[in-house]
Amino acid sequence: MEFEAVIGLEIHVELNCATKLFCDCPNRPGDEPNLNTCPTCLWFPGAMPRTSREAVQKASLLCLGLGAELQPVSAFDQKVYYYPDLPKGYQLSQAHLPLARGGGMDIIDEEGRPKSLRIHHIHMEEDVAKLVHEMEGRTPISLVDFNRAGSPLVEIVTEPDFRSPHDAMEFLKALRTQVRYVGSSECSMENGTMRVDANISVRPKGTNLMNTKVEVKNMNSVRHVGDAIAFEISRQSACAQSGEAIVLHTRLWDPDKKVTVAMRAKFEGPCVPDPSVPSIVLTPQAIEQMRAQLPEMPAARAQRLVTEHGLSGEEAVYLSTDPDVAGYFEALTGHGVLPRTAMHWLTTQLIPAVRERRQELAKTKVTPARFAALLQMLARDEINANAAREVLSHLFDSDETPESIVGAKGYKQVSDPGALDKLIDKVLAEQQAAVADLKSGQGKAMGFLIGQVMQASNSKANPKMIRDLMAKKLA
Amino acid sequence: MDSVFFYRNPNPDASGNGPLGHLSIATQPNISIAGWPAEAGSHALAGYTALEDASVAARLRKKGANLCGATRMSEFGFGLKNSLAAQAVQKGDANAELVLDLAGECRLAALHEGLCGYKPSYGLVSRYGLIGLIPSMEACGIIARDCKTIRDILEAVAGPDEYDFSVPEDAPVSFSTQGIDPEKISLGVIEEARSALSDEDRVIFDARTQTLKKAGFTIKTLPFPDFSLFSLVHRIVGSVEASSCLGRYDSVRYGKRVPGAKNWNEMYLQSRGAAFGPLLKSYLFQGAYFQFEQFSGYEDACRIRARLLSEMEQLTTQADFLILPAVNSASIHAPNTTESLDDTYAKVFHTAFTNVTGQPAFYLPFEGNKGVQLAGPRLSDARLLALGEHIQNMQQRGQ
Repeated sequence: MEFEAVIGLEIHVELNCATKLFCDCPNRPGDEPNLNTCPTCLWFPGAMPRTSREAVQKASLLCLGLGAELQPVSAFDQKVYYYPDLPKGYQLSQAHLPLARGGGMDIIDEEGRPKSLRIHHIHMEEDVAKLVHEMEGRTPISLVDFNRAGSPLVEIVTEPDFRSPHDAMEFLKALRTQVRYVGSSECSMENGTMRVDANISVRPKGTNLMNTKVEVKNMNSVRHVGDAIAFEISRQSACAQSGEAIVLHTRLWDPDKKVTVAMRAKFEGPCVPDPSVPSIVLTPQAIEQMRAQLPEMPAARAQRLVTEHGLSGEEAVYLSTDPDVAGYFEALTGHGVLPRTAMHWLTTQLIPAVRERRQELAKTKVTPARFAALLQMLARDEINANAAREVLSHLFDSDETPESIVGAKGYKQVSDPGALDKLIDKVLAEQQAAVADLKSGQGKAMGFLIGQVMQASNSKANPKMIRDLMAKKLA
Repeated sequence: MDSVFFYRNPNPDASGNGPLGHLSIATQPNISIAGWPAEAGSHALAGYTALEDASVAARLRKKGANLCGATRMSEFGFGLKNSLAAQAVQKGDANAELVLDLAGECRLAALHEGLCGYKPSYGLVSRYGLIGLIPSMEACGIIARDCKTIRDILEAVAGPDEYDFSVPEDAPVSFSTQGIDPEKISLGVIEEARSALSDEDRVIFDARTQTLKKAGFTIKTLPFPDFSLFSLVHRIVGSVEASSCLGRYDSVRYGKRVPGAKNWNEMYLQSRGAAFGPLLKSYLFQGAYFQFEQFSGYEDACRIRARLLSEMEQLTTQADFLILPAVNSASIHAPNTTESLDDTYAKVFHTAFTNVTGQPAFYLPFEGNKGVQLAGPRLSDARLLALGEHIQNMQQRGQ
């Protein structure tokens, strides 16, 4: 029997707010343990939650960015469960009245067809504390870090529209792009600002059955999500084939062994409305004001890059996927760099160099202004491409201008016809065999001869002029 | 050991300055005051000292009041078992006392001591710093000998609070004296509340309403067939909220931790099992039952609560205020040693409805004996206090 998967995702996104969701503590979970705490996020007796306006705004923008419909009234509930990372015994979450409903992402499926994947709802909630498990001698101990307790999260709950690991991965990539665009979160699975749980079941292909699902957690990258889903589909299909019943439970993805491992029975705690947290009321005017704050979204930006800068559709989509990349590109063109040059140097030189140095494009020392100055020297033939690559690597390590680096390191291109003539004559005299090959019609010999001249000039010669001068001499 | 006070302020802070400089006010140890033990009458909070002032305490101090100490209380303020609320005022150790009113405790404590007991409208007074149990129903009540003292204190503590967003921004802050003309005021008697009384109590209650009628008030009989559902709804919704709220008392950072547990789960279970007294434990068990086993029952109770609220709003358009008995004498005389949930809810049968609806309510002694309970629409506190003051003045004049 052939099976198909039915998959839904629950995606937690940590909002990049200055403070926690219900108190004024800094929202910096990575600080020294238990530094960012107060009676409210430690849940001491008598403390009361105060909802952060910034968190509501960023969450609302996120919802609008995902095409969801903000609800006029949403409210927090106490989601009851007992665990050491939640010492007040409940998590404040919007179980009954979520912030937004609907929305979704369009992707291209494995067969190359467009596919819409729907969002059921989006709700806000607070993060829990972090447990750190260590050994004290031979005794295992668990420590609790409250820096993360109360950090603002949104949870995006999808419809079970996904049928394959590909669907899930493409959805996550598209969602990540949208959320980064609205600026509500960095949305990085690697850094823990996006966490994904997948609910997976299988059924005979062609049926509409909704069989018992299994929840899979602990995936730290989009790739892991795909791998975990693929494994789980295979595991459940084998179970179904052999008649083994699927039991509702939670499994953990083991990225080293590339398997899912049973963790515990799935637990859904009751949710009691919390009267201490006022409902969030969004008037139509407030929603429209927030909608007006939405930036240009990726699809619209890609379209504009095609029409304004003459990029191909594929190039424009590539640049628009990351708002930092697209922003950098437009900053370069704003400094007068030709779009084609900007596209080429950004994607083939700068981005790989930034990644190699484990930096972020938005925070690197190689600002658009400095990089544009370098590319303009290249455009004016003051340096050649080899020298530009060299200067680029220096720009990461110093605050000097490209011009001063070129001057100090002697990268200025030799474009004096007299000086080039001498170098060419010398090379032609030394490389008679290559000259003969060229004259007999072997075009490759021209590249070899230009390379020899470049070498003789210590890579400073203007290669275009060399080609022109050499062509005249050999005509 | 001090018989009434759980803790006495060793450094009385009355300066004599400020509008409340003449008042010495007692609290209970579920109202946070920085540096004071705040055990809320429970082993679950044994050894806990408040880190900061509750907003009500901070506001009273700002107006010059002396917070003289915290009196002994029932566990988390639920019911009146082991509570010595109102005795400090009765004995003259304090001019007033703040007592959380979860189901009528503040009003009933006042009744026991022949004092005035006031429960403000829900959302009028900040709950920041109050170690609560039933957050959607509890309010910081005030006990005093006279209505004016209650009014002065309410004026000091009421109004919006940057630490409690559940207080509406337009919550009233002024309670200046308002003239009461009995000829223009109608008092509604809820028939189902009256008929639930014993014959003896009903005779006394009817005598009170007759007195008020003679004083010029119009007395109306108003039907509320589902009045008995208020205490049932309170019991279900309150127990669920209590179960959820008290989840945080795990004896890790304070409270009594039972030794010998093999892991954290065992430690939680054993410590929580030992932390709570039998009455509260049965309440929490009931709440947990509705949370985990019968959630639809809780949801039904919430729906009925919304309906009762709507019906009460309708009722309060038919009379300016409501007048009810505060308690059925038979329930007070129930044995106190093994108080059950049934006993507790029998005592609050006539008071819990205002905790369900959020209305303000006033227990007013009458001729030094069994008094009456007055209630008004939500946020009608200023007029309700004026009414109470008028009736109290009327009694003092022997009318």
